[in-house]
Amino acid sequence: MKEDLLDIVCCPLDKSELELEAIRRDEGEILEGRLVCTECSEEYPIEDGIPNLLPPDMREESAA
Amino acid sequence: MSDTNDARTESGLDAQTQRKIVRERYARIATENSGGKGGCCSNDDSRCSSAETAASADETARQLGYSEAELESVGENANLGLGCGNPRAIASLSAGESVLDLGSGAGFDCFLAAREVGETGRVIGVDMTPEMVEKARANAGQNDAENVEFRLGEIEHLPVADEAIDVIISNCVVNLSPDKPQVFDEAFRVLRPSGRLAISDVVLTAAVPHELRADPDSVVSCVAGASTIDRLEAMLTDAGFEAVDISPKDDSEAFIRDWDDEYDVSEFLVSASITARKPEAVDE
Repeated sequence: MKEDLLDIVCCPLDKSELELEAIRRDEGEILEGRLVCTECSEEYPIEDGIPNLLPPDMREESAA
Repeated sequence: MSDTNDARTESGLDAQTQRKIVRERYARIATENSGGKGGCCSNDDSRCSSAETAASADETARQLGYSEAELESVGENANLGLGCGNPRAIASLSAGESVLDLGSGAGFDCFLAAREVGETGRVIGVDMTPEMVEKARANAGQNDAENVEFRLGEIEHLPVADEAIDVIISNCVVNLSPDKPQVFDEAFRVLRPSGRLAISDVVLTAAVPHELRADPDSVVSCVAGASTIDRLEAMLTDAGFEAVDISPKDDSEAFIRDWDDEYDVSEFLVSASITARKPEAVDE
């Protein structure tokens, strides 16, 4: 995901702002990292450039 | 397991089951790199198999109202032939607008929208199926689409900030949701005042035959989960939308008829253009 998109993403649960913790970047794009909710501290992973903003219960289901 | 959402489900399935089977079906379609013959994918799995070619998806798209130029302008992998209309055609997009696609699939409508909103605009696609989002992201590279972003998310729990979006588009997806009122509540929340909703989806014109109502195949192929026009109008109004308009597409019978082998679903299902607007000033 691109960093400037950060201003319009939010936590899917409480709609609070997310803080970016980038692990790997490429030309202004975040390829690996996580988005952390500033309110509920839920962590949303960014993998292969795709932020996984599914509610946590859905996320576990998809990993199965 | 009890789920408070159950009562709102149109189909005879509980919400969790409905989400799961929809996701599995579309993950399979994404992985097999092909679309169905019918709009939202037909009930016959063989049509969703790898034998189905891009040419057939293009043919479906033509029936749905996409122009040759639109088809040619987007790489072939983005069009899976899973829609039931052309939401972008009813959205009247302008340069610089922010667009959100609910259930963006492989990204076809997003890439077309991205051309219209241009470099100053942006398009965000949300889909709950990891395989679809991966495919869309790969297609974004091919289409040189700088202003398009995809993310994994659920349309009932949009990961999008309040009042961040000018136009919401969606193509044959909302019927798949087990909780449509929540989808519309979320759509309303993320739209800016005067923001627009422009959706293509199937609506019921008569009751679904009892045997189909709780049939998982029928739900995932966009038949049993559909709502009536009256019900959808009520949901949109309850969510706060104004200027709600649900117009059935007269010519949709031809392609909807093929969605089920046993039933002529066009007897109770029609594709419609669904438009609505968020009021300019919302009472807090």
